Amino acid sequence: MTYELNVAHLYGDLMNTYGDVGNILALNYYAKQMDVHLNVNVVSLEEDFKAADYDLAFFGGGQDFEQTIVSQDIQTKKAELTKFIESDGPLLAICGGFQLLGHYYIGADGEKLPGIGALDHYTLAQDHNRFIGNIVIKNQETGETYHGFENHQGRTFLGDGERPLGNVVSGKGNNGEDGTEGAIYKNVYCSYFHGPILTRNGDIAKHLLVAALQRKYPDADFSQQKALPIPATF
Amino acid sequence: MSFRSGVATFAGKSSYWFLHTFLHGGSSLPGKITLKLDPNILRTLGAKYDVIVITGTNGKTLTTALTVSVLHEKYPAILTNPTGSNMEQGIVTTFLNAKNPKTGRPLAVLEVDEANVIKVTQYIEPKAFVFTNIFRDQMDRYGEIYTTYQKILDGVALVPNATIIANGDSPIFHSKELPNPIQYYGFDNEPDGDFKARPNTDGVLCPNCEHILHYHSLTYSNQGKYFCPNCGFSRPELTYRLTKLGEQTPTSSKFEIDGHPFKIQVGGTYNIYNALAAYAVGRFMGVDPEQISDAFNANQQVFGRQEVIDVDGKRVTIILVKNPVGLDQVLHMIGTDTHPFSLVGLLNANYADGIDTSWIWDGDFEQLTNRDIPAVITGGERYKDITFRLKVAGIPDDKHIVEPDLEKVVDRIKEVPTERVYVLATYTAMLQLRKILATKGYIKEGLGV
Repeated sequence: MTYELNVAHLYGDLMNTYGDVGNILALNYYAKQMDVHLNVNVVSLEEDFKAADYDLAFFGGGQDFEQTIVSQDIQTKKAELTKFIESDGPLLAICGGFQLLGHYYIGADGEKLPGIGALDHYTLAQDHNRFIGNIVIKNQETGETYHGFENHQGRTFLGDGERPLGNVVSGKGNNGEDGTEGAIYKNVYCSYFHGPILTRNGDIAKHLLVAALQRKYPDADFSQQKALPIPATF
Repeated sequence: MSFRSGVATFAGKSSYWFLHTFLHGGSSLPGKITLKLDPNILRTLGAKYDVIVITGTNGKTLTTALTVSVLHEKYPAILTNPTGSNMEQGIVTTFLNAKNPKTGRPLAVLEVDEANVIKVTQYIEPKAFVFTNIFRDQMDRYGEIYTTYQKILDGVALVPNATIIANGDSPIFHSKELPNPIQYYGFDNEPDGDFKARPNTDGVLCPNCEHILHYHSLTYSNQGKYFCPNCGFSRPELTYRLTKLGEQTPTSSKFEIDGHPFKIQVGGTYNIYNALAAYAVGRFMGVDPEQISDAFNANQQVFGRQEVIDVDGKRVTIILVKNPVGLDQVLHMIGTDTHPFSLVGLLNANYADGIDTSWIWDGDFEQLTNRDIPAVITGGERYKDITFRLKVAGIPDDKHIVEPDLEKVVDRIKEVPTERVYVLATYTAMLQLRKILATKGYIKEGLGV
């Protein structure tokens, strides 16, 4: 392979519900077709995350208990993660990962748990209800339609500077109220989609990989990679 | 029996007779009728029995069947519930159908859905519980592993004197202090090393200090001889130990428990856990190891989930898959086949299958790619999902046949280059396939599980 990207799988041993690991598998699958080798490294509790070491990051969803523990530990990685995001590092965050990049979320017991506030959203809870089911959204800028399966108790509200990943065509989305789903900020893509998101929506995998390649190899020509056809899988 | 219970029982029994005789059915409706007339009916019905409750995510059905055959070596009268009747109504129906025991105090060995344990313990104090395991199941229905365990414990809290016989290799069963007497079973056949579970594994946090657990030895998923390098939390002392693991094939396993040799006519490490659980109950109830061995040898029909069907010369094995840990174990078991085989993956996403297909990505299909499988067929209502899953796992296009229509899948199976064919199917896909195979005369009508 001509190119190489270092991928941080944030808390991959704790935040891994509903097949989210499939996002790593899908990144690998498309990376190979783009002549890119991925080195994937799980970065977990009490381990350092250094922004300079990574070209791409993935942060999946977790169960309530695991997410509580990660909410504490991730504070030690806050500065470097923020640095990575602000320097245009491509990052995909799903469900709990999405929530923890924001200011805070309300846990299963009603307690307010901190995120790292790298993105400007916050997440509330709903009483004895979850948004569960198939969901379809459309990104107004690219015109792309994304398919997924949502399963979340949290209701997330986006802040200034964040655009939604898409507008809800069918399903509930971030909070069931404002018609938004997910978030985009710089090269960070957030979503509640399982399914997993990248296996059903290869275009997002391509966006992430191309962004990482252009950032790491600013002088290379990636027109071929950008032209990689993504056949529908769903 | 009070007048109310008497009327309720009569109504339930008559409805069972009617349904069974005229409609060839009746697994939960009689229970429903009886419960309507007398919500406390289980107290009356269960009072005559010593009850053993078997619960957990995977292995309930087989563990129940094996436990029944083990206990039959010593106890003549045992009541048990058929698979699928593991909720309150099905359990009431099971008691209603029972013939009145002539002498002595009979046993009831019941498979009980995790959330329905409390529906049983409200009325009946079991002699023992068996906890098989708690894995990530179809979470759109059941919630997270800690929630599931709490549901079981809510039921157990009502009966603090009942003995718990639990899988000691599963850390969650050692996470809460309980007043009940507890016995553990587990694998103790490897020298101590220092391992971590695969990254994509559930339940690896120490319940005591919330650091990542390590293992002296691992069987699969998060099960094994765990310990916490931070606080010293570790696997409890085992009462029943698997001391040696012998030859494993897709259709048989040899092993030793507490030094006694056993053989079961079914593959898969998960089934050895089921046998170990049945052994533990047998020993708890005073059955000799030799009798247990006889029971394991005699009972081949309980392994119905892996029936082999002859389809015009192809040896087709249909295996039900429903969650990631079960799927991984099935893939591992198939991998022990020394003969070449073809693979069929059939995926549906109806309510009984789990409406979220994400779980197929938690299954380690990648382990198949070192087997050079000559033909892979993917189909079912969600064929696109399973097709892409196997593509990503590395199945090359020239060996991969995509066939959504299950009828045509049967035709394709006849054309694969191997004699052996493994069909992995979700619940409703399995039912649909069996119906087609029955119509074509390859099997008799019926579920066969």
